[in-house]
Amino acid sequence: MDNERNIEVTVNGRSRSANIPARRRLSEFIRDDLGLTGTHVGCEHGVCGTCTVQLDGETVRSCLMFAVQADGAEITTVEGLADGGALHPIQEAFWQEHGLQCGFCTTGILMTVHEFLSEHKGPSEEDIRHALSGNLCRCTGYQNIVKAVETADRLWER
Amino acid sequence: MGATMIGERVKRLEDPRLLTGEGGFVDDIKLPGTLHAAFVRSPYGNARVRGIDLSAARAAPGVVDAFSLADGWPDAPPTIPVLAPVDSLKPCPQYLLARDQVRYVGEAVAVIVAESRDLAEDAMELAEVDYAPLPAVASMASAMADGAEVLHDTVPDNIACRWTQGIGDVDKAFDGAAHVIGDTFRMQRYTGVPMEARGTLATQDPVNGELTVWTSGQWPHTQRALTAALLGLEEKSIRVIQPEVGGGFGVKVELYPEDVLIPFAALRVGRPVKWIEDRREHMLTIVHAREMDIDLSVALEADGTIRGMRCRLLSDQGGYFRTLGTVNPSLAITSMPGPYRIENYEGEVVCVLTNKSPSSPYRGAGGPEAVYARERLFDIAAREIGMDPAEFRRKNILPADVMPYDTGLVSVESTVVFDSGDFPAGLQQALDAFDYAGFRAAQARDREQGRLRGLGICVYTQMAAVGPYESAEVRVDGGGKVAVVSGAAPQGQGTGTALAQVVADQLEVPLEQITVTFADTARIPFGVGTYASRNAVMAGSATLVASERVRDKAVAVAAHLLEASEADVEWHEGTARLKGVAEKSHTLAELAQVAGPGGNRPDGMEPGLEARHYFETMDAPFAFGVHIAEVEVEPETGDVDIKRYVAFSDCGRLINPMIVEGQIVGGIAQGVGGALLEELVYDEDGQMLSANLVDYQLPTSLDMPNVEISHHESPSPLNPLGAKGIGEGGAIAGHAVIANAVEDAIAHTGARVRETPLRPPLIWKLMQEGGAAS
Repeated sequence: MDNERNIEVTVNGRSRSANIPARRRLSEFIRDDLGLTGTHVGCEHGVCGTCTVQLDGETVRSCLMFAVQADGAEITTVEGLADGGALHPIQEAFWQEHGLQCGFCTTGILMTVHEFLSEHKGPSEEDIRHALSGNLCRCTGYQNIVKAVETADRLWER
Repeated sequence: MGATMIGERVKRLEDPRLLTGEGGFVDDIKLPGTLHAAFVRSPYGNARVRGIDLSAARAAPGVVDAFSLADGWPDAPPTIPVLAPVDSLKPCPQYLLARDQVRYVGEAVAVIVAESRDLAEDAMELAEVDYAPLPAVASMASAMADGAEVLHDTVPDNIACRWTQGIGDVDKAFDGAAHVIGDTFRMQRYTGVPMEARGTLATQDPVNGELTVWTSGQWPHTQRALTAALLGLEEKSIRVIQPEVGGGFGVKVELYPEDVLIPFAALRVGRPVKWIEDRREHMLTIVHAREMDIDLSVALEADGTIRGMRCRLLSDQGGYFRTLGTVNPSLAITSMPGPYRIENYEGEVVCVLTNKSPSSPYRGAGGPEAVYARERLFDIAAREIGMDPAEFRRKNILPADVMPYDTGLVSVESTVVFDSGDFPAGLQQALDAFDYAGFRAAQARDREQGRLRGLGICVYTQMAAVGPYESAEVRVDGGGKVAVVSGAAPQGQGTGTALAQVVADQLEVPLEQITVTFADTARIPFGVGTYASRNAVMAGSATLVASERVRDKAVAVAAHLLEASEADVEWHEGTARLKGVAEKSHTLAELAQVAGPGGNRPDGMEPGLEARHYFETMDAPFAFGVHIAEVEVEPETGDVDIKRYVAFSDCGRLINPMIVEGQIVGGIAQGVGGALLEELVYDEDGQMLSANLVDYQLPTSLDMPNVEISHHESPSPLNPLGAKGIGEGGAIAGHAVIANAVEDAIAHTGARVRETPLRPPLIWKLMQEGGAAS
């Protein structure tokens, strides 16, 4: 029935191996097989950005990939951001600036912002708004998310 | 700390777990042995169902159960009740699964339960449903046309209900008027679209038989009551828990068929059953909102004073009348006069059935529709009589000295009585914040250079909470930790933080010592839920009273221990002490231990340092606001850029201004989305053309301006916090203010904005037609 494959990946620094059906999406693998439910699924057709994770340091929409396509890759999810009990500076900035309400889209946005700020220092508001434009948020109107990114840029020593 | 907690910009207690991905949304709850459901749904807008054959689906790999309505309820299947009916309503309710006819694309016909979601969806393809398609009724106009296809035999004219409400003598007001100005405004179908779609997980305890249901909702206690009624169970045998919810905006205040079918399936198979809605299902079956055609006219004196107002409103209810179908049109006609002195008014509601997903409240619930029509018409009226639109509003706005002001109108939810506020001062504050006069001068200069800048004003009132009650329980444990439990059921508003601030204010303990939990029918016996901007007012007031009682009780216990009178004991930073004798004191933890059963408490005192309060009221407070937006329209393309946005709000006493501002801006985003982007589009066959997030466009970070916010606090006399809700204000004003600003930018072409969303092709067309007409 289901055509199973074995994959080996590194997730948040830890190597994981699993036999999974070929049709399993990366988002399902992360959430259901690995139990990392911080990656949320919002639209299942690659528009909303909620399920964003990093694959070898670059953001991908985990609902649009099969898990088998990630074989051998290094994956970072939101659970990989905080350092033990200490929030990542980006998370701290979102907390300070009230950059989230329901928190559902937030985890994907954090992964997008992490990639963006890894590559940019002192971005303009326009740059930030462009960087965020692939992630939908229905609660905040984005204003405080933009502020949070500005604050994160200052807080995150990199 | 202490008495300064209310009004503080406290960081939210909810956030750390959400930021680290530890928030538990319904799909994050994994129970061993869970089965997954998929729904066979109608591909037709209107069709007879001649037969359903699930035999091949039942035989498919991994399938455990498959059932239709006849399988589940062979005799008398239940229907979804209407909770706020009107006398004229003709019965047109929905069965949990289609019986012999489907009336919208996406209507559930059968349920498949399998070992995985993939297998359930595979089997869904094998379900054989014999449909005989009927002509679809895809618009209100076609529903009311002669010879229209009839959706329900019980409703031969496709009009489910109609009613009229009014005050004063409208005919007289119109007869003697210097000007009568009217138009028809169409607001499109759009809705909440939370980032988390719906979802339910249900399981029956094999030992005690209790059914536990986790659902992404907004009113767990009501859901429990309705689920019990529809399944013929006792309420006490069902526990509904609302976990973390990824946005609701009103569309999860509903009893959906799936809410009952998933628990029913779990009882049938004796294993946990989960269903997580996909985005296409969401767009097809979530309750829709907003779609109304509003005929509105005003009768004016020569100087612009309003003599009267008349309104006829058609509300597109979709294929069935669901729980709260009356709410949007009822709130719309009772919101129509708004913050203006309009003593002669008549509004008529006509609720029309069409082959679309049923209609129910979404953020603002009738407010956005009414405010859009009224504020549009006022701009048009002002222009026609040669008056400045701000001056027109200033002339007609209710003065401060009439407060409290009874409009004489009553909606299905409450009377419309403005409890407090200074509306003229608020209008002026907003105009000053914008530099209105300065803008008008610059606008004229820019237009000469071909730049199309426009300014919109929107003045509104909103029902800022609704009864009948909300619950809160405050309990101190032996370690001095304070646990608050409320029947409210928030979806990201930060209510937990606000309630903790209320408690911290009373008990003078640090916020870290307080936990707040919501929305679990096993934790508190009664609760209403979260909608209608009600949390701060209703749950906040319940929490305030309960925490006052806890403090009073703690003082009484301390007085007993100190052998003093209660008058000689004072409360200070979480301890009770003998006045003037700091060392004679007892901490909250000590007092909680003593107050427990078996402790040395005063005679006659009930044990436990705890109190539960139900804040009961049928008197809704009303919030007030003024939004002013500036847009620039690209002349070649009709593209709209929002340049500036000023939002003034009077929502009474602020508990946490940071949270309030977040609600305002978030609401504005939904109004902007409605004004410029979002539409649930059906074609003439009743097929939805926007059932995904590409074709249904939500605002992105590039569509939203930075909102400049200011407040005035007129405390409400109707609750002990003086609070008024504001969760819906942004969505109510945002749509209207952008529509007004766009028209202002292109009015010189003769264009008139009568419909939304104002996407570039429509604006371009309006400019061309306006130019041709002028």
